[in-house]
Amino acid sequence: MPELRRDPIIGRWIIISTERAKRPNDFVSSQESPPEGECPFCEGREEKTPPEIFAFRKPNTVKDKPGWEVRVVPSIAPILRIEGNLNRHGVGMYDVMNGIGAHEVVIETPQHIANMADLPEEQIVKVFLAYIERIIDLGRDMRFKYVLVFKNYGWIAGGGRVKHSRSQLMAMPVNPKRVKEELLGAKNYFEFKDRCIFCDIIRQELDSGERIIMDSDGIIAFAPFASRFPFETWIIPKHHSADFINLKRQEVFELAKVVKQVLLKIKKALNDPPYNYIIHTAPFRIPKKPGYWKTLDEDYHWHIEIIPRLTRVAGFEWGSGFYINPTPPEEAAKYLRELDIS
Amino acid sequence: MAELRRDPVTGRWVIIGNEKEIKLEDFEVEKHEKKGGICPFCPGNEAMTPPEIIAHREGGSLPNTPGWLTRVVPNKFPALQIEGDLNKRGIGIYDMSNGIGAHEVIIETPDHNREIADLYDHEVERIIWCYRNRSIDLRGDKRFKYILIFKNYGRSAGASLEHPHSQLIALPIVPKRVQEELRGSQRYFEYRERCVFCDMIRQEVQDGKRIVAENKHFLAFTPFVSCFPFEFWIIPKEHESDFSYIQKDEVVSFASILREMLKRTKVVLHDPSYNFIIHTSPLVDIEREDYHWHLEFMPKLTRLAGFEWGTGFYINPMDSSLAAKYLREAKI
Repeated sequence: MPELRRDPIIGRWIIISTERAKRPNDFVSSQESPPEGECPFCEGREEKTPPEIFAFRKPNTVKDKPGWEVRVVPSIAPILRIEGNLNRHGVGMYDVMNGIGAHEVVIETPQHIANMADLPEEQIVKVFLAYIERIIDLGRDMRFKYVLVFKNYGWIAGGGRVKHSRSQLMAMPVNPKRVKEELLGAKNYFEFKDRCIFCDIIRQELDSGERIIMDSDGIIAFAPFASRFPFETWIIPKHHSADFINLKRQEVFELAKVVKQVLLKIKKALNDPPYNYIIHTAPFRIPKKPGYWKTLDEDYHWHIEIIPRLTRVAGFEWGSGFYINPTPPEEAAKYLRELDIS
Repeated sequence: MAELRRDPVTGRWVIIGNEKEIKLEDFEVEKHEKKGGICPFCPGNEAMTPPEIIAHREGGSLPNTPGWLTRVVPNKFPALQIEGDLNKRGIGIYDMSNGIGAHEVIIETPDHNREIADLYDHEVERIIWCYRNRSIDLRGDKRFKYILIFKNYGRSAGASLEHPHSQLIALPIVPKRVQEELRGSQRYFEYRERCVFCDMIRQEVQDGKRIVAENKHFLAFTPFVSCFPFEFWIIPKEHESDFSYIQKDEVVSFASILREMLKRTKVVLHDPSYNFIIHTSPLVDIEREDYHWHLEFMPKLTRLAGFEWGTGFYINPMDSSLAAKYLREAKI
């Protein structure tokens, strides 16, 4: 019997279609993509990108020259622009503002490696530290409300022609809708129960265990109860924390380890599928506003969502907000949990 | 400079356009190669589908035999099951119910190779009648709250069979995106005592530059806040909240404008994959002053990436008035 499951945070219903359940081998990962050109992200080609904003470098090396380990540059084709005013205005009944924001690329390795799963753990640590540096810096700009950190791996997932591991950072003048929904859902739950909904989810997932993929000291990886997509995976710290940027150094090491292992499991289970990952973290606070979301620190809980792109979800799901998932998350979790990647 | 535009109904922000004018060649259009093989939707293969629910038939032909013009059958691999109770329940903090619902396929024509854009108006009218008649029939089932009618055309838009068809799903819940739309229009109504869609129609007619086609009862335009390049809406000019009460001469008008718009899109974008969805009010509502049914069409031209997933914030590289211009000027 197919099941309808409700996302406890934002209230979205999902159909888990058990009748046509799909196992890893039923998915054909599509890595088809146009031919790769010369890579502007490799070490030695620093002049091919706009000047670097931030980098972890070996001692005695200089900006925009070789010797870096992780490098952050402005996007070559930015969707939002950094200079200018928001100029909010109305056009008849419609509301408009200028496309102000920052759009940066985090180049995760000087070597031409495509998948983050194949980077050494120490390298992933530096990538996360670079995210934190950049988010803190962008938070100083009062025009920005939110920084989204995400990764598009593979052509189908929106990755570019060049197969060099990188992620993107987008600082935005508004809180995006999906983020707002999640924040509101968490806030409502908190008002009702005086507990963080994510902490409750973690407790219940650890109790039942059937959707757990990895259980490390301070972090779990699990397939959410109302997964929208086959093999959707969330990585979340057990310890309550609203902001990704408040990660302690030791926690960054553990996170890098878990992320690498989960990505490796997904790579092996699904034949190197395209995927997206997104860091869900709290927006910048505006402390000056009285009464502004006082409970945010208590009600929200940062996490990473990984979505392998296996099904041809299209305009239909986008248009209706209605997802049909052919793989029960319990089966996906069991498979990934038991998969040996050593 | 790119612009951020806010959807007046749902409050979603969309990033639209940038300084460089986008060229049509920039879009990746999927090729529709016909694979051949045995098609379960072609005449003569009626036994390959579950028994038909309704059909338009030429004089005297029997159910589940050739001679039909449109045919509605249950989906052979339904996402939801028609028999049973919902049995709503909680597991700890999670809520769930059984997957009860109807999942039907509308086979639009016996001809394997003619899409809606290639049909005659009177043939498209039959498809619309199927949508309407099935909606009316399923309303009677009290377990259902919403009927979603949609079409996936092309593999990248989610179609698995190439024979022209659309689908209908009757759901025991109201989908999230629909709820958002309803809530948004309700709020607008409380504030202004006018339907937000009627206001949009008025403003679009006044501006003119996003209108592509118009006939007796319907208007087709590319919305000011389009999430996708070449997205268009078809909307009844008179306030009407529920698709299933569409009248006879409105069916004629709707079929004609739908076919025309699909033809225009096919010409301009060289037969892109697409989805369309009919947005209508939930079954429990009789007549809503604040909601207005319409059809939303989205061609599959861009790849959705982590940014859209994470934010529900869309980036549309093309200003909708430019898309409207291309569509208006298409030679059909």
